[in-house]
Amino acid sequence: MPPKSETLSRSAPADQADSMDPLFHLLKIIPFGFLRVPRMRLKLPSISLPSAMTVYALVLLTYFMVVSGIIYDVIVEPPGIGSTQDRHTGAVRPVVFLPGRVNGQYIIEGLSSGFMFVLGGIGIVLLDLALDRNRAKIVKVSFASAGISSVIIAYVMSMLFIRIKIPAYLR
Amino acid sequence: MGADQVGVKPNLFNFSLKSLKLKTKQQELLIRVIVLCLIYVLAFITRLFSVLRYESMIHEFDPYFNYRTTVFLTEKGFYEFWNWFDSESWYPLGRIIGGTLYPGLMVTAAFIYWVLRFLRFAVHIREVCVLTAPFFASNTTLVAYFFGKEIWDSGVGLVAAALIAICPGYISRSVAGSFDNEGVAIFALLLTFYLFVKAVNTGSLAWALASAFGYFYMVSAWGGYVFIINLIPLYVLVLLITGRYSMRLYVAYNCMYVLGMLLAMQIRFVGFQHVQSGEHMAAMGVFFLMQVFYFLDWVKHLLSDKQLFQAFLRITVTCAVGVGALAFGVGMASGYISPWTGRFYSLLDPTYAKDHIPIIASVSEHQPTAWSSFMFDFQILLFLFPAGLYFCFKRLSDATIFIVMYGLTSMYFAGVMVRLILVATPAVCLISAIAVSATIKNLTSLIRKESKAHGASAKGTTSAKASKAALDQSLPFQINGAIALLIGAFYLLGRYAIHCTWVTSEAYSSPSIVLAARGPHGGRFIFDDYREAYFWLCQNTPSDAKVMSWWDYGYQITAMGNRTVIVDNNTWNNTHIATVGRAMSSYEDEAYEIMRSLDVDYVLVVFGGVTGYSSDDINKFLWMVRIGGGVFPVIKEPDYLVNGEHRVDKGAAPKMLNCLMYKLCYYRFGELVTEYGKPPGYDRARGFEIGNKDVKLQYLEEAFTTSNWIVRIYKVKQPSNRW
Repeated sequence: MPPKSETLSRSAPADQADSMDPLFHLLKIIPFGFLRVPRMRLKLPSISLPSAMTVYALVLLTYFMVVSGIIYDVIVEPPGIGSTQDRHTGAVRPVVFLPGRVNGQYIIEGLSSGFMFVLGGIGIVLLDLALDRNRAKIVKVSFASAGISSVIIAYVMSMLFIRIKIPAYLR
Repeated sequence: MGADQVGVKPNLFNFSLKSLKLKTKQQELLIRVIVLCLIYVLAFITRLFSVLRYESMIHEFDPYFNYRTTVFLTEKGFYEFWNWFDSESWYPLGRIIGGTLYPGLMVTAAFIYWVLRFLRFAVHIREVCVLTAPFFASNTTLVAYFFGKEIWDSGVGLVAAALIAICPGYISRSVAGSFDNEGVAIFALLLTFYLFVKAVNTGSLAWALASAFGYFYMVSAWGGYVFIINLIPLYVLVLLITGRYSMRLYVAYNCMYVLGMLLAMQIRFVGFQHVQSGEHMAAMGVFFLMQVFYFLDWVKHLLSDKQLFQAFLRITVTCAVGVGALAFGVGMASGYISPWTGRFYSLLDPTYAKDHIPIIASVSEHQPTAWSSFMFDFQILLFLFPAGLYFCFKRLSDATIFIVMYGLTSMYFAGVMVRLILVATPAVCLISAIAVSATIKNLTSLIRKESKAHGASAKGTTSAKASKAALDQSLPFQINGAIALLIGAFYLLGRYAIHCTWVTSEAYSSPSIVLAARGPHGGRFIFDDYREAYFWLCQNTPSDAKVMSWWDYGYQITAMGNRTVIVDNNTWNNTHIATVGRAMSSYEDEAYEIMRSLDVDYVLVVFGGVTGYSSDDINKFLWMVRIGGGVFPVIKEPDYLVNGEHRVDKGAAPKMLNCLMYKLCYYRFGELVTEYGKPPGYDRARGFEIGNKDVKLQYLEEAFTTSNWIVRIYKVKQPSNRW
């Protein structure tokens, strides 16, 4: 769309004569031939491309949701957490991991596993941040230790989760 | 004399050592070639578990159809194959096989067979079919190496090749015996992507031409080519938005799109979809957008006035968008451009299939993915993927933008459908390889820098003082820490290898047509009931007999039993399948009417009550009801359920206890004791004693039951002579 005629009229009048835009010329005659344009201070917001790291943060969030099985949750609608009844006492005990099959989950187990995966990924990123830049020593040390502990925790917890879910794992 | 002899030997020894002493570059090349050869062999042999355990046979259901068509191709030649009308399936409709399949896999297997025969190797076509998928998996690792080299460097290529060689997500569909389209298609997919990225990087017409031919191979191999024809335009669009338009991109995309489209139209099954189907319109839209960009670039080059160009830009963009939208609208409204088909639309809107198309929703591979499936198929790659994305975002280039987009879109689709984890695997392996390679490079460069600094400081010169000052910025215990981290990284990669081998051996090497179970003392029991039943059919029924079964078993009955079937796995006619579903879920007399109208001679059902096999027809029965009820409203799902539950015991619904499927599965079962301590007629798959033990059949008679009662065949009686 050509810009509104009010902004054009503010700039050099030579543009008006030289403009090759047919719509502009049409608009000059039809409403704005007899309508007087008021003085307005309008600023169009400028859309700029986001930085690479902003996009990366969004991507990480999407990855967390997909890997937690959110699409499975939306379609199959499993309960947040399962329950089983104790045979002798009749008390209802919660069951966190859906037993029996590989492609099934409750919502909470999906979210916690997804969080572990993202934690492991962030740990490796922190390691790279610790080794690369010229930062203060204390920052680098804290990044390195946070990174290493994240990776270890994430790996150990993921192995634990998969062992609980599939009892025959690696046997 | 003795001195002479002693003198000669050391010279020879020195000569041989010197000749072996290669320059560093040649040493590096030698190491790379050796590693690639090892990876090639590894990718092949890790897929051979089922061949070693059972025998060289075709697995599952779909591969039997592919095998039958490949045999036909090798026997009758390409012309007969291309024009084949098959009257042995979908009786009485028949199926135009030549026009409704993707010929890439069959032609590839037949080509390998003819080459081997030409070299006088007397192989059977079955062996070639069984080993085609592992062979192409090895080729995929090579393509992954070159792709990794293109994106980052050769280290990434090697790691990517190693990761993809054993990744369970890929192994699941390319194991030896799984003669299915995906085995060849993933190779074609990765090849097309590699050639296109190479074309964008170099701007060479030759590479763009090669990528068009790669795309042609992909179109001939698998229906998933729609992913390529949508991802590449999306990638081009992202490059245009981020301001990376260049002549190289223009040449690469134009050549690939136009030539690829023309080549793709040679496949009868695809036909004119590239200009008629809504799924391919994105590529066309981006094609026209590229022309607009080029035109504007040319005008900008001609015009020297900036203001004038801005005005011209605005007009052109408005006109282009307007004309494009108008054309698209006219095309959609007039029906020339068909909307997205159900299969692909359910990928964008996953809830669509559940409500509208039960036949798509019923396939177990089409279920959405839970976290454990991801973990099973990827393990540590799930940690390395976000880390690799970070490295890609840190160093954005045309190639890394592509791999990021491929990774993100394929991961989303993998989340929607379990089967599509296969398409995500190459991207995940490549991006994880970037993370591994970058991290290990960081650590090793740290160790080498430290040891170099220590070595220099030992000399005690002034330059060492400067390096010591620089060292103060570094971390304490740097070498030890880096070595520990390196060992940790190798430990994780080792655990990945162990996991992959275990998953391959336990989960993905089962032929599905032969069942195996472990006895109480660890001994292995093999149930070969399916093949037993098909060979019985082949040898004991008249050659024009027609067999009615649920569509899962159609391909196998046609290929091994060599008899005409009513419905098979192609599922192209929903009404025909609904007719069979209606017959299975009606009372015996109504079902007899339907069976007489279809000329059915034999009925085949699969029953797991004796062995505890859970993928039998009683567990699939609700899908038969749903699909039948979708076309014939007389079949209502609530009639078969009690309180929303599907039961087979005494409390089951009366319609369930008397329908044809129930009678055929449980005929004579009430007298059988299946488990020690349980009453006769105890169904081990459902875990209940059946409700109706005294089953009497009026219009059918039992023809054959396999040794473990898994497959049961019944003969449909002719109508009686008198009333």
